Amino acid sequence: MIGFWILAVVMLASSIWCITATRPVYSVVALLLHFAALAAMYLTLHAEFLAVIQLIVYSGAILILFLFVIALLSSGVAPFSVGPDRLPKILIPAVGLIAVALGFITYALSRTNALVTPGAAVGTNLGVTGEAGVFGSVADFGKALFTSYLLPFEITALILMVAVIGVILLAGDRTPYVSSRKQAGENRRDMREAVLRGGE
Amino acid sequence: MDPMTVPVGNYVALSSVIFFIGVAGVLTRRNPLIMLMSIELMFNAANLLFMAFARVWVHNAGHIFAFLVIMVAAAEAAIGLAIVVTVFRSAKHVDVDDVALMKG
Amino acid sequence: MHHVMGVNGYYPYLLALWLLPLAGAIVCWAFGPQLKSLAGSLGSATVGASFVATMLAWHQGTQSLGTAVGAHQVLGSWMPGFDFGLLLDPLSLLWTSIITGVGFLIHVYSIGYMKGDNAFARFFAYMNFFVFAMLTLVLSDNFIGLLVGWGLVGLASYFLIGFWFHKPSAVAAARKAFVINVAGDVGIMMAIFIIVGSVHSIGFGDAFAYAGSYGTPWLFAICLCLFIGAAAKSAQIPLHTWLPDAMEGPTPVSALIHAATMVTAGVYLVARCAPLWSQNGNAQMLVATIGGLTALVGAILGMAQWDIKRILAYSTMSQIGYMIMGVGVGAYEGGVAHFFTHAFFKAQLFLGSGIIIHALSNEQDVRRMGGLRTKMPFAFVAMGTGVLAIMGIPGFSGFFSKDQVIYGALAHGYPWLYALGIVTAGITAYYMCRMFFVTFFGTYRGDVDPSKLGIRHPELAGTPHGAAHHEDHSGTNWFLTIPVAILIIPTIFSGWLMFGGEGSPWARFFAQQFPHPALAAPGISEGATAMITLAVVLVGIAIAYVRYASAGALSGAVERLRDESIKMPGVLANAFYFDAALDVLFVRTSTILGTAFSRFVDPHLIDGAVRETAVSANWLGALVRSLQTGLLRAYALFLVFGVACFVIYYAVVAAGAH
Repeated sequence: MIGFWILAVVMLASSIWCITATRPVYSVVALLLHFAALAAMYLTLHAEFLAVIQLIVYSGAILILFLFVIALLSSGVAPFSVGPDRLPKILIPAVGLIAVALGFITYALSRTNALVTPGAAVGTNLGVTGEAGVFGSVADFGKALFTSYLLPFEITALILMVAVIGVILLAGDRTPYVSSRKQAGENRRDMREAVLRGGE
Repeated sequence: MDPMTVPVGNYVALSSVIFFIGVAGVLTRRNPLIMLMSIELMFNAANLLFMAFARVWVHNAGHIFAFLVIMVAAAEAAIGLAIVVTVFRSAKHVDVDDVALMKG
Repeated sequence: MHHVMGVNGYYPYLLALWLLPLAGAIVCWAFGPQLKSLAGSLGSATVGASFVATMLAWHQGTQSLGTAVGAHQVLGSWMPGFDFGLLLDPLSLLWTSIITGVGFLIHVYSIGYMKGDNAFARFFAYMNFFVFAMLTLVLSDNFIGLLVGWGLVGLASYFLIGFWFHKPSAVAAARKAFVINVAGDVGIMMAIFIIVGSVHSIGFGDAFAYAGSYGTPWLFAICLCLFIGAAAKSAQIPLHTWLPDAMEGPTPVSALIHAATMVTAGVYLVARCAPLWSQNGNAQMLVATIGGLTALVGAILGMAQWDIKRILAYSTMSQIGYMIMGVGVGAYEGGVAHFFTHAFFKAQLFLGSGIIIHALSNEQDVRRMGGLRTKMPFAFVAMGTGVLAIMGIPGFSGFFSKDQVIYGALAHGYPWLYALGIVTAGITAYYMCRMFFVTFFGTYRGDVDPSKLGIRHPELAGTPHGAAHHEDHSGTNWFLTIPVAILIIPTIFSGWLMFGGEGSPWARFFAQQFPHPALAAPGISEGATAMITLAVVLVGIAIAYVRYASAGALSGAVERLRDESIKMPGVLANAFYFDAALDVLFVRTSTILGTAFSRFVDPHLIDGAVRETAVSANWLGALVRSLQTGLLRAYALFLVFGVACFVIYYAVVAAGAH
């Protein structure tokens, strides 16, 4: 219980910091903290595999990607400076909407706490960690993923492939590939000049 | 397995609060990168809810679905960032309000 | 096939009779330039053939007097109750005979009168078209056919009055006639609406069979509306103002249309709808009173005219007033008889005046005539017979028919109309003799300076023919004289058909046609009526003689005529200000209404409605367009708003229902 509350506070604070940080790198760091707390919370929910996946994929890959893009876009002059806000009035209805939604959620919660009765379904999946059939274990997750949910898994692979292709098409380098030693020499010369220029 | 001591309502409340913090981030910030990060916040809020109810019913379908959500979120983040890079590669300011060509 | 008023015979030439003039009109219209002067012969031939067909039908029809005779031809049926057909019963047979017979004579006359005119073929096309239209009117067995004929004769009248369309006064007169006629058309349409609404049929037979079931107010409304149409077409007060101006047309037109046939369409209508009128005393009173008043007013105004054709026009108006009075009081045979005799002597008078006008190079003012008794003896004799007939001198045709009308008024219980008719007969005699004496007696005044005679606008006298007209008055124009000569016979003798009271051929012919209610014997007998009328007529002749034909009058003719012209009362000279009254009532109000509409309603209301539709569409579009800010965050806001709606719905409505 204590663990839940500590983690909850960390998650809330880091998410608020994320959206209000002045510089994007601070937002990334806040998000990293958020993901770490979230992984810990997963652990309290007996979801070990997902906790590790969360850390590896989300904070290890996606946030790094964000950092790369921030680095790429930082080449301009004060790229992340705040210009004139063209929609200043959006704050008022936005906050209002959020408040209303939060209110309704709380109201709904207060009326439906009897909907879920936790803990009653203690099943036969209990066992030593590491064995198949133990809730939340890797074996249990893997068995489910590759038998019952194989199709979604394959489709996810397809989605990732499409994403890669899309990224290359959108933001990739358009110059044709010249496979020759001469071009390689030119490439090296270009890189040297870029480094020298970057130092100015 | 030890019984669930934290009432599930807590998880629901936390998830919704984080979700709407993400919404506020999307609506309020003008940096596209921050907007994408807020979207990630929303994804994770939903994931938290999936995991909580997976624990309630002691069923790993929630885990599976959360895993799929993470995968799709990765793909979507990649493509979103590629779009941001393409649009703002040569822009002076990275401000999403500047991309208002669809006006009118 | 229902039997229209008991008539169900078959006459094989009925369709030919009806359609031949139309064929003639189409040929003359289409091939006018090629036909040139042949158009005249063609036009006369078609009407002549129709006349022959009518005579053959008459032969068939008179074979069995006393029974319902005639023929019925079904043309087609549109909806149940809307059956169109042709009906040839005694009434329509009579009208058809006059139309085709007198029409044929006038067509022949026109060959001579319109010779050399540029639009010779067009004239005959129009005349044939008129004959066809009039035949449609009288031969239809249903109200809508009658209305079609009604409108078409109005159209033909417009064509023919405005025949010399380069003359602005002719065009204005044609338009005036047409507009007033259209007002009458509306009246008939209203009546048809009421009839169809009550009986669900347009046929005469059905409409009259249920005459008792309309209810008195509706029946009066029908009769009133029908009479509005009849008054417009037959130039009764107050819709008579077009008839004097209609004299702008060529003289044959005046003879055929505005004397013998078209203007009698109103009389035909009332006589045809006799079953309706005989059920409603108020309607009869209305019709008879208007007829009597018109007779009187026409006669009074005839005393004040100087144009020979206008004198005859007012005389036509007055005589039709007699006819209307006759059919209005219920003396249907009398009114129709007067139509019959009037057709002959009025055509005679017009054609005779046409001979004079033609010979004097389009001079129409009687003040510039005079002494033509010796110069044009044939015209003198022809018009003399016409004048004697119209005055009602015993032995001539007008005597018998006018006597029937006047006596009928008394017999059916309208003593004031009786007195009115007698007085009007005297006035008729006065002004017809005035015309006759001024035109034919004394010395010829054509060489006298017009202003000495009191003529204010000498340049307006006369009607020019079309350009390139060669006046050739040498030698007798046989086309002009032969029809007039032929008409002398019926002018004098046609009245004898009505001699004999109940046993006369006339009464027997119409025995089955008209209702004959039982009448109380009036105080004054028919013979005494004839005596009184004759006395009044002789008084009129005497006054006219003293004023215009006595030795003293003839010697100082020029001064007398000038004095009379100058001292003519304004009321008479302006025709009782009817024209001015109608102008203020209808023309001015229409103009004001039209101006108001064009200044206010049209640009602001109607155009405004259309414009505002476009403006509001634009405004709505602009409003919606303002949502398309192009800003990503605004769109995200709308998304979130939608999500919030969903959440609220499921949180409150769907979940709360459980």
